Amino acid sequence: MFFHIVLERNMQLHPRYFGRNLRDNLVSKLMKDVEGTCSGKHGFVVAITGIENVGKGLIRDGTGFVTFPVKYQCVVFRPFKGEILEAVVTMVNKMGFFAEAGPVQIFVSNHLIPDDMEFQSGDMPNYTTSDGSVKIQKDSEVRLKIIGTRVDATEIFCIGTIKDDFLGVINDPTTT
Amino acid sequence: MSLVTDSPVSSSGSDDFADFLDDHLDAESDNEDDNGEAKDEFASSSSSSSSSEDEWEDDDQPVSKRTKISEVEIVQNGDAAEGSASHVIVEQKLEASSSASVSKNECTHPGSFGKMCIVCGAQVEVSGVSFANIHKEILIGNAEVARLRDTDTKSVLCRKKLYLVLDLDHTLLNSTLLSHMVPEEGYLNNQIDSVQDCQNGSLFRLSFMHMMTKLRPYVHTFLKEASQMFEMYIYTMGDKAYALEMAKLLDPKNEYFHAKVISRDDGAQRHQKSLDMVLGEESAVLILDDTENVWPSHRDNLILMERYHFFASSCRQFGFGCNSLSQLKSDESEHEGALAAVLNVLRRVHHIFFNELADQTGRRDVRQVLKTVRKDILKGCRIVFSRVFPSQFPAESHHLWKMAEKLGATCATEVDPSVTHVVAMDPGTKKSRWALENDKFLVLPRWIEGANYLWQRLPEENFPVKSNEPPKSEAKVKDPDA
Ligand SMILES: [Zn+2]
Repeated sequence: MFFHIVLERNMQLHPRYFGRNLRDNLVSKLMKDVEGTCSGKHGFVVAITGIENVGKGLIRDGTGFVTFPVKYQCVVFRPFKGEILEAVVTMVNKMGFFAEAGPVQIFVSNHLIPDDMEFQSGDMPNYTTSDGSVKIQKDSEVRLKIIGTRVDATEIFCIGTIKDDFLGVINDPTTT
Repeated sequence: MSLVTDSPVSSSGSDDFADFLDDHLDAESDNEDDNGEAKDEFASSSSSSSSSEDEWEDDDQPVSKRTKISEVEIVQNGDAAEGSASHVIVEQKLEASSSASVSKNECTHPGSFGKMCIVCGAQVEVSGVSFANIHKEILIGNAEVARLRDTDTKSVLCRKKLYLVLDLDHTLLNSTLLSHMVPEEGYLNNQIDSVQDCQNGSLFRLSFMHMMTKLRPYVHTFLKEASQMFEMYIYTMGDKAYALEMAKLLDPKNEYFHAKVISRDDGAQRHQKSLDMVLGEESAVLILDDTENVWPSHRDNLILMERYHFFASSCRQFGFGCNSLSQLKSDESEHEGALAAVLNVLRRVHHIFFNELADQTGRRDVRQVLKTVRKDILKGCRIVFSRVFPSQFPAESHHLWKMAEKLGATCATEVDPSVTHVVAMDPGTKKSRWALENDKFLVLPRWIEGANYLWQRLPEENFPVKSNEPPKSEAKVKDPDA
């Protein structure tokens, strides 16, 4: 799920960045530091959309660095247990398949793939129903349900399932 | 939440949707006081602290569950035909599927991804095999590995295939650092093949890795043919980046290996290779490698390869003073080289396994087949060694003696009419002279090693024992039984 939220961060800036462009420098450093990172609480920071407020700087003794409290708006992405996500399959093997939804890596084990789908190895490994009507392979788009999440410093891992009603392939690259 | 107000709203359709969202979110926060608090807390935020991670999740869980149930109730009320009994069942089902804690008791946690159970999603510590070659976060418990191995082997055998694990360096190719190249190898820079054309090329310069790589002659044909009979893995002591780069050169269309590339970075032990990450039963796996010691538990699966040294640095590394193939501007024979010979062995093993042993499906073992094929090579040969071993050395435990026996020959310590070959370094010994007088083959030890590497009885006339090294043979004629 995406959220548009306000976060706050204490930014340390080297004195050489002071001057007319102080604010610009602060913002570009903030983007570099924050965009693409994850936190367990908020998930993956997709983009900073605006600065709410830059607080008063505090000079650090000894170093000359100045710490500014910055409040900023950003779009974050965080998966939840029970959430339905659409994801693109990146790799299929006999243990199951991996899929990605933006920064989130999802593993769907063969235990959580419907029993009527069987693994087929070969040039393009895939899971296929016995009548061949549904096939999951690399680049397929699937709708899946998240049953577990873990957020690392830079990565988000999820366990997913497609063993439920209305889950599974929504777009097969070979048929379009 | 500001999501709705910030998004540009133009068409009337999205207006409706925005209204719907607004209404829905309002309704939800009206009903759920605690949920509203959670949102405020979220918005006020502090960028560090992951300690409150769970709290947020907990807040979220019951809400979604309640929403679902109330939705079901609406549907149920609309559908008058359904009784109240089924209503209860549906609710219970929802409970079961939406909360992992219910299934926790039954789940055996067969493996983990990102420290979460791959079946129930719970946080778990699984002990087992790390399949880092597939994904660094995948860990599969031993029972599950056994299950996967069993089903995979069955399906592979069903397609009349076996498993083949291939080493890279000195087996399928030879690489050198550019900085280790000698001046005589400079001409190679004019013979580089384009990486875009690896299908046909064999000499590649990988500037970004500061390396040059030469594929062994015949390797393209070898892989193509072998892939018809085997499910193939690459297993190298090189690092991951190198392994993947080499896989690209060998398999540019990604037809053979897919995610079946195992590197040093994936392995558990530093100087050993294991079949843990290979999802085939040991009775269906063959290994091609130039180093026997890295496979302490799988010698019977191993087809030992003669090392391919193309570059000078490779010869130096293994302590050969001689000129390398690159220095001699030469190369291994394409159609009579090691890979062509081994491909024939693979064909024989495959044929015996699936044709001659077709009626013994449960008991077939590729290791036994390999032994049988090997025993055919020098079948009917009876070998006597003449001063090849140190004088006090127990002959039966010498590696050449053992090798000859594995190749199907019988060995003896004394000559008799049944002997067919005398193996010697020096034509002047008593046994060597006996061989010449009695019209028996007199060959160098290299004849046995050659048969071992090339899996065929080589023409004896190519391994004559000559006395063109007088100092050496003099030194040896001290043995009393000469
Ligand atoms: Zn579990």
